[in-house]
Amino acid sequence: MYSYIARRLAFGALTVIGVSIMVFVVMRILPGDPLVAIFGPEGYTKLTDAQRESYMRELGLSDPLWVQYLAWVKDIIRGDFGHSFFRSESVADMILRRGPLTAEIALLSVVLSWLVGIPVAIVSALKPNTAADSIVRFLSILFLAVPGFWIGMLIVLGLLFWFGYRAPMAGASLFTDPWVNLQLVIGPAFVLGMGQAAYIARMGRSSLLEVIREDYVRTARAKGLNSRWVIALHALPNALLPVITLSGVLLGLVLAGSIPVERAFGTPGLGYSMFTAVYERDVFVMQNLVFLYSAVFVLLNIIVDLTIAFLDPRIRLR
Amino acid sequence: MTTAYPSERTLPANGSRVRAALRGIGRLFRRAPLSAFWGVIAALIVATAIAAPVVAPYPPLKSDFRAMQKPPSETHWFGTDQIGRDTLSRVIYGSRTSLTVAMGAVIFGTTLGALWGLACGYFGGRFDMASQRVIEFLQSFPDLILAMAIAMALGGGLGTVIVAIAITRIPFGGRVIRSVVLSLKEMQYVEAARGIGASHRRLMFRHILPQCVAPYLILATTHLGVAIVIEASLGFLGVGIPPPNPTWGNMLSDALNAGLVPPWWLVLFPGAAITLTVLAFNLLGDGIRDLLDPRLRGSI
Repeated sequence: MYSYIARRLAFGALTVIGVSIMVFVVMRILPGDPLVAIFGPEGYTKLTDAQRESYMRELGLSDPLWVQYLAWVKDIIRGDFGHSFFRSESVADMILRRGPLTAEIALLSVVLSWLVGIPVAIVSALKPNTAADSIVRFLSILFLAVPGFWIGMLIVLGLLFWFGYRAPMAGASLFTDPWVNLQLVIGPAFVLGMGQAAYIARMGRSSLLEVIREDYVRTARAKGLNSRWVIALHALPNALLPVITLSGVLLGLVLAGSIPVERAFGTPGLGYSMFTAVYERDVFVMQNLVFLYSAVFVLLNIIVDLTIAFLDPRIRLR
Repeated sequence: MTTAYPSERTLPANGSRVRAALRGIGRLFRRAPLSAFWGVIAALIVATAIAAPVVAPYPPLKSDFRAMQKPPSETHWFGTDQIGRDTLSRVIYGSRTSLTVAMGAVIFGTTLGALWGLACGYFGGRFDMASQRVIEFLQSFPDLILAMAIAMALGGGLGTVIVAIAITRIPFGGRVIRSVVLSLKEMQYVEAARGIGASHRRLMFRHILPQCVAPYLILATTHLGVAIVIEASLGFLGVGIPPPNPTWGNMLSDALNAGLVPPWWLVLFPGAAITLTVLAFNLLGDGIRDLLDPRLRGSI
């Protein structure tokens, strides 16, 4: 087990380094000239050569690329995520203030997806090819197709139209004002949760169908065990392993999906900041946020892998 | 469930490929009528996109200042936006952009990934090891975030959005096709071909590639749906194809920018168009999968 953990962590560290290089390449080298990205093609042509040079020096962009890369990495390790061009707040402060809201949304959405997806998968797998199963399958395919942010916009509109309700605009922490906080996170969490639930129901169904056919499940039935207990205690634990892995992969969907969904709901979370950074072409904020999101994604997947290894000796002992 | 594995199917006689394709479509209708129905819907959407200038009642960029932000009516079925442009026409023209981007992204991304996967699976060794690491790095970004970063870095526009989405599709094509090739490589007919001295190129393109067509088709149809959603999200976040050209994503974004409360018809119709299109392609993909290769059920 320890060697597995060590290997997984070492590989994770390597991945994060690779990710940082890739982010750097995409955000700094691809645009050709970062000033074009900052000022826009029109603004760029209005700058004089001297202005361009002084901006470049100010931003530390006239150094060789590897020096810039190392400086960036050093900043990140120190916890300095730089400043936005358009706001006075530092990116680190912004992450600390807005991050918890997005983290709450992500966590709540995962919980919701399991609460909805697993029961649906069980019903679907125990009565395959019945009307209920067909409806569930169609609904899950439908949910895979619907863009979450659109559902979000419809929910906001519907609540406003029929109930005259609008979620509060200002951020509120879970500890100071739990009621306002809940109103902020429940909408995005619901939309993102249903999106994942569709995948989880599909995967859970096929995985459960496979496990039910195994010999040990038949043995349990032959012993005369109540069918309900066989499913709950014998079949389900094994059937859930691939679902846990899938849930980890889906975290990418949640992290990325929260950006448009937070915009649709107007939630003051980190996803909304990411949207603002993209909308305003704020290259450095974007670079740091993209790195942060990807690093978090890698980290969460390591945690998922270790959980799986903890639960499944076949992987742990390999 | 079909029992015809691709390897068991009789090969079409000389010059009857068209007939074989038609037979395939016929089989889709008989075996999976529901998927065939969605296939027809998908075909209709593609046809509407191609025939947009004929089908759309108004030019998509023409403002009618006497009918600004009007709800659906007899003259404007889907209503009009803030500056009096007809929503129905814009949704129809939007399908052009969405489908062009999605098909472009699949043709470049999924295909490139598939060919890469073919090479990885066939040659193995160090090349494969290095490629797998690169693919893992690519996969450690959530799709949309990678596409956002690339689209933003390259600046908005049709070409850059296609490239941005295509890059996110590469690892999936690579992984799936690689695993298919790995199992094919060990098959006896490949060994026999190698035994009689077939070259690498001949083995790869003549013996292994044809068997990869089925998984590739399935992957490509699924990726079309994914690409449409990513394109819409990019448009919604303002890094897609810039206005005034209508796309479903930037129409939704415009609706939100219109004011505190967006008019419902500006929200409902573009989103419904996305959902219907993605649903049609996904269900068509499901049908093709069940038809071509039941073994792959649930794996992609």
